Amino acid sequence: MVVVGVIASALGIVFGLSIDWFPTIASVQAEKIKTLYDVLVIASVPIFVLVVTVVIGAVIRFRMRPGQEDMDGPPIHGNTRLEVIWTALPSMIILGLCVYAAAVLHDAEKAPAASAKELKIGVTAQQFAWTYTYPKELTGGAPLKTTQLVLPIGRSVEFQIVSEDVLHDFWVPNFSMKIDAVPGLTTRYRVTPNRLGTYPVVCAELCGLGHSVMRSQVQVVPPTAYAAWLKRKTAPPKATTSGGTAGAGNATAGKQVFADNGCGGCHVLADAGAKGQIGPNLDDVLKGATAAAIKTDIVDPNAQIAKGYGPDIMPANFGQTLSASDLASLVAYLKEATS
Amino acid sequence: MSAARVLRAPGFPRAGLGILIAVGFSYGITTLVRALYGWGPTIDGEAVTTVALIAGPFGFLIGLGAFDYWFRWARGAPTIPEDHSGHGARTWKDYFRVNTDHKVIGIQYTVTSFFFLLVGGLMAMLLRAELAEPGMQFVNANAYNGLFSVHASVLIFLFIIPVFAGLANYVLPLMIGAPDMAFPRLNALSFWMLPVAGTLFLLSFFAPGGSFSTGWTAYAPLSVNAPLGQTFFTVGVQFAGASSIATALNFLVTIITMRAPGMSFFRMPLLVWANFSTSLLVVIATPFIAASQFFVLLDRALGFNFFYAPKGGDVLMYQHVFWFYSHPAVYIMMLPGFGIISEILAVKARKPIFGYRMMAFSLLAIVVLGFTVWAHHMFVSGMQSWIRVPMMITTAVIAVPTGIKIFSWLATLWKGVLHLDTPMLFALGFLTMFTLGGISGVMLAMIPFTIHVSDTYFIVAHIHYVLFGGSLFTIFAGVYYWFPKMTGRMFDERLGKWHFWTTFIAFNCTFAPMHLIGIEGMPRRVADYSQQYAGWNLFISCASFVVGLSTLIFVYNMVKSWRGGMKAPANPWRAMTLEWQVSSPPPIFNFDTIPTVVGGPYEYGVPGAVHGVFKGAEVKSTAEPAEAGTAPAGD
Amino acid sequence: MEAGALPLHDLPDHGDHHGPPEANRSSRVDPQVLGMLLFIISEVMVFGAFFTAYFFIRVVNGDAWPAQGDELPKLVAGFNTAILLSSSLTMHWTVVAAKANNRFAMKAGIFTTFLLGLSFLFIQVNEYVHIGFAPSSSAQASIFYGLTGLHGAHVFIGLLLLFIVMVRVFRGHFTPEHHDGIEVPGIYWHFVDIMWVVVYTTVYIL
Ligand code: HEA
Ligand code: HEA
Ligand code: HEC
Ligand code: CUA
Ligand SMILES: [Cu+2]
Repeated sequence: MVVVGVIASALGIVFGLSIDWFPTIASVQAEKIKTLYDVLVIASVPIFVLVVTVVIGAVIRFRMRPGQEDMDGPPIHGNTRLEVIWTALPSMIILGLCVYAAAVLHDAEKAPAASAKELKIGVTAQQFAWTYTYPKELTGGAPLKTTQLVLPIGRSVEFQIVSEDVLHDFWVPNFSMKIDAVPGLTTRYRVTPNRLGTYPVVCAELCGLGHSVMRSQVQVVPPTAYAAWLKRKTAPPKATTSGGTAGAGNATAGKQVFADNGCGGCHVLADAGAKGQIGPNLDDVLKGATAAAIKTDIVDPNAQIAKGYGPDIMPANFGQTLSASDLASLVAYLKEATS
Repeated sequence: MSAARVLRAPGFPRAGLGILIAVGFSYGITTLVRALYGWGPTIDGEAVTTVALIAGPFGFLIGLGAFDYWFRWARGAPTIPEDHSGHGARTWKDYFRVNTDHKVIGIQYTVTSFFFLLVGGLMAMLLRAELAEPGMQFVNANAYNGLFSVHASVLIFLFIIPVFAGLANYVLPLMIGAPDMAFPRLNALSFWMLPVAGTLFLLSFFAPGGSFSTGWTAYAPLSVNAPLGQTFFTVGVQFAGASSIATALNFLVTIITMRAPGMSFFRMPLLVWANFSTSLLVVIATPFIAASQFFVLLDRALGFNFFYAPKGGDVLMYQHVFWFYSHPAVYIMMLPGFGIISEILAVKARKPIFGYRMMAFSLLAIVVLGFTVWAHHMFVSGMQSWIRVPMMITTAVIAVPTGIKIFSWLATLWKGVLHLDTPMLFALGFLTMFTLGGISGVMLAMIPFTIHVSDTYFIVAHIHYVLFGGSLFTIFAGVYYWFPKMTGRMFDERLGKWHFWTTFIAFNCTFAPMHLIGIEGMPRRVADYSQQYAGWNLFISCASFVVGLSTLIFVYNMVKSWRGGMKAPANPWRAMTLEWQVSSPPPIFNFDTIPTVVGGPYEYGVPGAVHGVFKGAEVKSTAEPAEAGTAPAGD
Repeated sequence: MEAGALPLHDLPDHGDHHGPPEANRSSRVDPQVLGMLLFIISEVMVFGAFFTAYFFIRVVNGDAWPAQGDELPKLVAGFNTAILLSSSLTMHWTVVAAKANNRFAMKAGIFTTFLLGLSFLFIQVNEYVHIGFAPSSSAQASIFYGLTGLHGAHVFIGLLLLFIVMVRVFRGHFTPEHHDGIEVPGIYWHFVDIMWVVVYTTVYIL
């Protein structure tokens, strides 16, 4: 049986390690956590196999056979040596794992060597949207508030997370780190992205109706692309941005704004292929609406609550996060797409 | 009988009247107060409902007669402490009134809890139907959140916790040789608070804005701002909590003061030890969830600021207070199961429990350690970071006493003569599945890993491996094991085996893949998820329907066997503990004379060993002769 | 809690069935008293949870206590503390009197205890009316009302119990042998008093 157990454990470990558990690893921290998980698998499988092997072994060898109906087993009450072993051994395993896990934790959270070069980016959570703030140290001018998160590869970044209403949780599965956004506190963690690509940002703490659609994206780009993006975002808007209702809206650009800001998570809009079910169907309700009305609906959603929906569900901060030109384009696009 | 007489006698008509009066009172008092303070509008539906939710249950309980004796006593009217008019059941109607017989209460408890298992399970079926495909199918986001919140709350507060209390209510006094619980009337009250709590939970579906939808954890500040349904949870939990505190207190006093002569602490069956430990946990920890919900209620109803950060409230405080109860609560949901497994394994392996004393001490160790680990649910909550590593260590250390139990059970099996019938199959299923769930728990204790998987389906997998593969398997095992004693009938063994195998396989197919999709990044508590998890979710949903159907086999077996099963002998399992030494079902006052305990409870294989002896003379007056009443069991 | 009912009557004939066998008493502790002590453990934990809230709001958050501009009437509350503590003495006196079968002292004792408790509650409510802030003013105010209100609710429950005891004392119940019905509520009353000292110290003094 020992042989069976050893073989089963070995097979189990190989099986456990061969499964592709994690999402694409995209940060230094995620790599460490994945290694920790592999160690946990190696430590756990033999324990589970041990229990299962003993149970199955006992069932095979000691199950009652015909004629044994009235028999009893031997009256063994205990064995101190065995009991000491099975107290001490798990204690040692546990201790080892804890020390290792604490080391990984320390590693994952420690400041980078060149801490001055670390990016510090604000993350604001709100039912049900994420807003990112690039402070003036990064932009060199006024702080940038945006719904897009773009990070340069290979540079440590510290997220400083706040919440405007209830608990949320800022999580990029591919970075592996997460922490709650807590009203009244600033929580923080750091990651070092090490793989180019676009990854989902997920809200991992139940925050109400729209919790499952509180999604956003993070783009990890080469440093030059990051610098260029930042420059473009902070450049003073060229065209006129009169606060005029329709303004110089560009419906084609508006479609992109609609997609970038997660509107489709909550709304149906056939033209954009959006199928969200949290808010009203825009194809229906916006038919014939004026541009001014649509604009108010977006920047001040609580001003007029669509019938059958509650207040405070649609994020109220698009007025701040969308630039005036984006807003105008969005309105123009919505008007065009629903007419 | 005149209507007035009906309404004056304790019972359901008077209970209905009580509710009406309570609702009227709530309406009056809130309107009066609001008028006095000049708050507008004077009639506020939400305020009336909140008060009615608290007052209504009292109206019901008073009407039902749960307090009659105490009121008489309070008036100074003559009372008879040894009043047995409410004791025992002669017809089925006696199960629907305030009954002071621990055996009746045990059955009331068990049957009611199983009803709630079906309700909670049905909600799980709806959850899985919604999750079968990405996108929204049957329910909207609000209804989905409501479903998993009620699913978990019902199964935790109205199934797992009370069903253990019910089983123990039935067998524990018998096991220690007591004629009843220490406070029979309090026992009755404990039971009747359960349907109250359950009704509140389920009624929340009819509240404007839907049922409570903030998870069973009801984190502030979401729960503070949530629609009215949340109040149903906030208040319902108080009744469920009061019920479990009262029962725990009752168990403790019964165990300490009413053991049969010779029943020293180290001759108690391990089920008694398990309930002793659990009751300690309940008495100490449960007030914390009561308080956490008081805070929420005060914030919601009276404008307090416990969780309103701009005015100095502390949001994380909710989680500390909540988990200081709810982590011990997971052991409240597991330790009685450990007790059941110890009983079954010893009897079915025909061997003494290996390392009896260590089994008892490890229970106490879990109780003590259980109070030192609550913040492992808060590793990503943003609390002070220095708390994490100490909590990781204490959390992982709980694996040691739990491991002692697992290994001792394995050693109990070894060299035994294993009777592989249904209770035993569930016990073995428990051993393996709980180990798996426990190991994933230890993984969760490892902070960096939890940071990644917290609030994902990995947690959902852990929850169900320990609660379904752990607690529920022990409950099934225990129900099959004591079914003959409680009903006087044998269950259908063949259906029992079918039940086990379908449940075991479908359970694993349902919950094992959740580990994978959890680590891959699927968050929990979402009605909609990204396309990449679609395949596994469909598989999980299909498997979960099989779990549902397999539960129906169990229900069918129980109903059929109770009505027409074979008559059960007093001691079908040749067990030594005292409950098997009386007839099945036991006589109305359990024993004619209290037995005397002369040895340990599990001396299987020891020639001539006896646990308890009855004085010969009274033996024949027990209802069912058969082997009943004769002292030595086993061999 | 069917504490210490007096067997005024003989047990009635049970007709068709006989009563249960007498349970073995496996502990010297009285079940009623043990039950009350366990209940008090639960109660202490309820207060413990409120003190946890107090700890987080006052100590962890480090905000001013009491909130800016609020003032706590230490002196009046101190006077109230004295009232409550003396009611513990009179409660004790009542139990002693019951044991000595001194009916007059029993009546006097329970009556003064009740009155003292009532005046405590009255002063407390009066304090709320004049204190100048509401629970909704700030989290500090919330926890102030939370802790003192929770305690006030316990005084109220204690007073209900005392009232019942009083009714029964005046009806001539309780004997030197059977006075659980005074003793057990008495334990509860002492607990309520001790709890007040803790609340008073942490909320008003510190
Ligand atoms: C019956 C209920 C039950 C039980 C018994 C347990 C037991 C354990 N649980 Fe679990 N847990 C839950 C119910 C339960 N849990 C629930 C409901 C949640 C989610 C709550 C929510 O958020 O909704 C949760 C969540 C949860 C978390 C938080 C995850 C998160 O949200 O981020 C953690 C983290 O540490 C944890 C750990 C543990 C540990 C270490 C044990 C240990 O007690 C397990 C010990 C047992 C063993 C380890 C197996 C046997 C031992 C051996 C064979 C010896 C050798 C073993 C080793 C050396 C490893 N649990
Ligand atoms: C005692 C505890 C217990 C039990 C027994 C179960 C049983 C089941 N649970 Fe549950 N569950 C929890 C406790 C439990 N759960 C908790 C604590 C949570 C966390 C909630 C939170 O996040 O707040 C949770 C969350 C949870 C989720 C995650 C929801 C989410 O995060 O979005 C899911 C999803 O699949 C799920 C599924 C199931 C299933 C399929 C079963 C099945 O095993 C149920 C089987 C039983 C039956 C089906 C009943 C019998 C059959 C009928 C009544 C007839 C109908 C049958 C058919 C139509 C086929 N549970
Ligand atoms: C988290 C969900 C959510 C997101 C994200 C969201 N909305 Fe909404 N939206 C709602 C809800 C709910 C309503 C209805 C309640 C209301 O009117 O405020 C609504 C209402 C509207 C209305 C008014 C409809 C009417 O009846 O007149 C418009 C227009 C609208 N949203 C556009 C948008 C646009 C554009 C975006 C993206 C920039 C967006 N929404 C993002 C949930 C959302
Ligand atoms: Cu924000 Cu979930
Ligand atoms: Cu826990």
